[in-house]
Amino acid sequence: MNGTVHIVDDDEAIRDALGWLLQSRGLAWQGYDSAEAFHQAVDQARAGCLVLDIRMGGMSGLELFNLLSEQGFPLPVIFLTGHGDVPMAVSALKKGAFDFFEKPFNDNDLVNRVIEALENDARRRDQETASDSIRHKLDALTPRERQIMDLILAGKYNKVIADELSISMRTVEVHRANLLDKMGVRTAVELARLLQSATEGRSAP
Amino acid sequence: MSEHDAPPIAGQPALPPTAPSHHWAGTYLLMPKLAMGLLVVSLISLLWILHRNELDEQRTALIKDILWMEQNLRFHLSGIDDQLSQLGLDLTQDARPGSTFQVRTRHLVKNNAELEQVLWLDAQGRLLDAVPSATTGRQVLEPFGDTSLNSALASAFDAARKLGKPVYGQPYSVPQRGTEIEIYVPVFRNGQVSGMLVGVYSLNNLLNSVVPWWFAEKYQFRILDGNGAVLAAKSNIVGELGLDYRIPFDPPGHGMVLEAATYSTPGNMAQRLLAAVIVVLAAAVSWSLWAIRGHILRRLEAEQALREEHAFRKAMEDSTMVGMRARDMAGRIIYVNPAFCRMSGYSPDELIGTRPPMPYWDPDQMDMHEFQSTRVLAGQSPQEGFESRIRHKDGHMVHTMVYATPLIDASGKQRGWISSVLDITEKKRIEALQRQQQEKLEQTARLVTMGEMASTMAHELNQPLSAIASYAAGCANMLRQEDRPPDRQALLAVIDKLAAQAQRAGRVIRRIYDFVRKSAPQQEAVHLDEVIEEAAGFLEAEAKQRGVVLNLNLARGLPPVEGDPLLLGQVMINLLRNAVEAVSDQPLHRRRVRVNVRASDDSSQIEVRVEDSGPGIPPEQAENLFTPFYTTKAEGMGMGLPICRSIIESHHGHLSLEPREGGGSVFAFRLPREGATMAPDSLSPPASAPVSSPASPPTSTPNATP
Repeated sequence: MNGTVHIVDDDEAIRDALGWLLQSRGLAWQGYDSAEAFHQAVDQARAGCLVLDIRMGGMSGLELFNLLSEQGFPLPVIFLTGHGDVPMAVSALKKGAFDFFEKPFNDNDLVNRVIEALENDARRRDQETASDSIRHKLDALTPRERQIMDLILAGKYNKVIADELSISMRTVEVHRANLLDKMGVRTAVELARLLQSATEGRSAP
Repeated sequence: MSEHDAPPIAGQPALPPTAPSHHWAGTYLLMPKLAMGLLVVSLISLLWILHRNELDEQRTALIKDILWMEQNLRFHLSGIDDQLSQLGLDLTQDARPGSTFQVRTRHLVKNNAELEQVLWLDAQGRLLDAVPSATTGRQVLEPFGDTSLNSALASAFDAARKLGKPVYGQPYSVPQRGTEIEIYVPVFRNGQVSGMLVGVYSLNNLLNSVVPWWFAEKYQFRILDGNGAVLAAKSNIVGELGLDYRIPFDPPGHGMVLEAATYSTPGNMAQRLLAAVIVVLAAAVSWSLWAIRGHILRRLEAEQALREEHAFRKAMEDSTMVGMRARDMAGRIIYVNPAFCRMSGYSPDELIGTRPPMPYWDPDQMDMHEFQSTRVLAGQSPQEGFESRIRHKDGHMVHTMVYATPLIDASGKQRGWISSVLDITEKKRIEALQRQQQEKLEQTARLVTMGEMASTMAHELNQPLSAIASYAAGCANMLRQEDRPPDRQALLAVIDKLAAQAQRAGRVIRRIYDFVRKSAPQQEAVHLDEVIEEAAGFLEAEAKQRGVVLNLNLARGLPPVEGDPLLLGQVMINLLRNAVEAVSDQPLHRRRVRVNVRASDDSSQIEVRVEDSGPGIPPEQAENLFTPFYTTKAEGMGMGLPICRSIIESHHGHLSLEPREGGGSVFAFRLPREGATMAPDSLSPPASAPVSSPASPPTSTPNATP
C-alpha cells in the first residue's frame, strides 16, 4: 500500500501509539504535533491520508480541514473526536471528510478505514495521472485537429464537417486519422469514452 | 359569582336610576306658572269687567240723570215761558196793563231766581216797561259795540214776531253777571203781534235753582256753547272728573250743550288700589316662582352632578380589581364591592351586616384573622398593609394584601374602616415560580459546571486510554503475525509506553480526588429538625401548587448530628421533592407527604423517614434507583439519589428505601449523633421491595460538585 498516513495530534502519546498501531499493520506514517506544523509541510503530503484530531491547542483540526478544503487538498481526512465533538465531526463529513472516530476507538476498525482511505487516494492519483496524459495528448493537437475533434464528438459525419469548415472531405479524413492516432484511440466512440473518463476522474481543481 | 349591585352604604340614600332633565323641571314649574298667570289674568279681567260694568252703570246713570236734568230745565223754562205767554195774553185783556205787568212780573222774578229781568217791548221793540229795572245786560255790553249780538238778538225778536211763538236769543256773557239768555215771547192782540215780553235768564242762576244738591255732588254740571266755552257751571266739589256726557240744550238751542261729568269716586280709588295690589302680589309670586325655579334647577343640577358622581364612583368600585370592604366602628361589614365578592366567593347579601368571625376567614388561621381584625378596628393596622390569607367559598385559598384606612363620612366623622384588598395569589405563585426557576437555574449552572468538569475529565482520561488501546492493539497485531517473529525490543518499549499511559490516567483520577477533597464538606453540629423545616419551607410553594400536604412530625430536643448542613439540606430537599412529585398525580386526599424524625432507642442515632402515599416503586426499578444516571423521570438526570446516598454515607449514615404500608414508599436515613462513636451500620443495603417515590430526583444536586 503506497501513501503515508499523516497523523496530526497535539498529544504525543496518541501519535506514537497510533503510529505503532499503523506500523503493526504495515502502514507508513508521519506525525505532526499541531495543525500549523502539518500545514507548513502540506506540500510533502502528496499521497496517503490524514488522521486529524479535532481538539487541539492552536489551530483546531476543523479549522485546518476547512483551510485545506479551500486550498484543494486532495487527501482523504479521518477525524479523531473526543466527547461532545460528534456534531462538529458530522458537519465535517458533510463537507467532504472521509470519516470520523470517537475516542476511545476500536483501533483496528480505524486502521481498516485508514486503509480504505489510502486505497481511495491511490485511485484518485491513478485517475489524475490518466487525465494528465489525456491533457498532454490534447495539447499535442493542432487547432484545426481540435476543431475537427469537437465536431466529431458532436456526432457529425465527415461530409458535414467538410462543408462546415469549407475544406475537402479528403482533408477531413486526414485530420481525423491524425488526431485519433495522437489520442491513442481507434474510433470516435473510444475517443468519446476516453474524454468522458477524464472529466469524471478529475478531482477538485 | 354574579355581579351584584353593591348596596349603598347605610345612610346614603340610593339615587333614582333615571336622571330627570331640565325639561322635567320646566314641566314641573309650568303648572304654577300657568296657574299664576291665569290667576293674574282672571283677576285683572274681573277688575276690568267690574270697572267696565261700573262705567256702564255710571254712564247709564249719567245719561239718565242728564236727560232728567235736561227735562227739568226744559220744564222749568217752558213753565216760565208759559207764564210769560199767559201774562202776554192777560196784558192784552187787562184794562190797566201797566200795574198788572208790574205785579205779575215781580211775582215771577221773585219766585224764579234765574229770571233776572222781564222787559215789555212794543211791536217795534221799544221798551214799554221793565222789572226789576230797565237796565239789561245787553246795555252793559253795548258800549263795547257788540253789534253781532244785537243783530242776533234783533233777528230773534223778528223770528218771534214772525213765528208768533216764543224764541230764544243768543246767549251772551256779561261781566259780573255771567252768561245770560233772553226769551222773546210775542204778545198778541186780535191775532196780531202787538208787543214782546222779553225774559232774561241768568244761566248760573238757572243752574243754581234747578240743579238739585245731590246732582251737583255727583256731577259737575255745565252749559257750554257751540265752541265748547263754558257758559255756566254748577258743582259743589272740586275733584277729578271721570265720565262726561253732553246733550244739546234745545230749547234754548243756539248750539248750547249740557254737560255732566262724573266725579271719580273714592270707591274707584280703592278698586284701583286693589288692582294694583293684586298686580304687585302677582308679580311677587311670579318672582318667587322664578326664584324657586332657579333653586329647583340648581338642585336638579346638583342632584344630576351627584348622580353622575355616584355612577362614576360606582362604576369605578365595580370595575376595579381591588376588593373593597367597609366596616362600621363595631366591625360589621357595611359595604363590599364586586371585586371583593369575586375574591371571597360570597354575595354582598351574605356579607353585609356580618361581624367577625367572617365567613371567608381561613379556619386554620382564626387567631391570626381575629388579631388582624381587632388591630384594624383599633386603628393600629400597619400603613404598609398586611398579608392575610382568606378562604374562598369554594374552599381554595386566596392570598391578599390588605390596606385599611378610616372611613370618614360627609360630616367629617369617622364611621368605620375601609379596607382595600388586593389579590396577590398570582403574585405569590409567580414569586414561587420565579424561586423555582432561579433554583433550577442555579442547579443548571451547577450542572453545567459539573458537565464542564466531567467533559474535561473525560477528555483527560480519553487521551491516555486511547493511547493504551492503540498500543495494545498494535502489540496484538504484531503478535498475531505468524509469518515473522515479533520484535521483542520494540514490543517491550511499547509496553513500557503503555504502562506510562496507564499511570498518566491514574494521575488524572488522582487529580479529581484531590479536587473533591478540596471542597470537603464542613463539619459542625447540625440540628436535623431545623434542616428539615428549612427544606420543607423551600418546597412549600411547590407542594401547595400541586395540592400536596406536607406533614412534619418533628421530635423536639433531639441531639444534633455532625455534618454539613448545606449538604444534608440538599438531601432533604431531594427526598421531599421526590415525595411531592410522587404523590402529585394521586387523588387529592392521597396527596400526603410525612416526615418523621426520631432518635434510636439508645439515642446514638437519629432516623429521618420521608413517607409518601404515591404509587410505589416497582422492584425492578428499586434495584437501579441508586445507580448513577438511572432515572424514571422525563427531566431526570439520574444523579440525585446516588448523590444523596453518597452524602449520607460520607456522614457515616445510611440511606435506604422501603415500601410503605398502605401504598407508597419510605426513604429513610440514619445519622450518628454528634460525638457518638461510629456504630457499625447494621442496616442492610436497600431492599428491593416494591417501593414508591419517583426514582431519581430531578436535578437537585448537592453542592458537592467534584
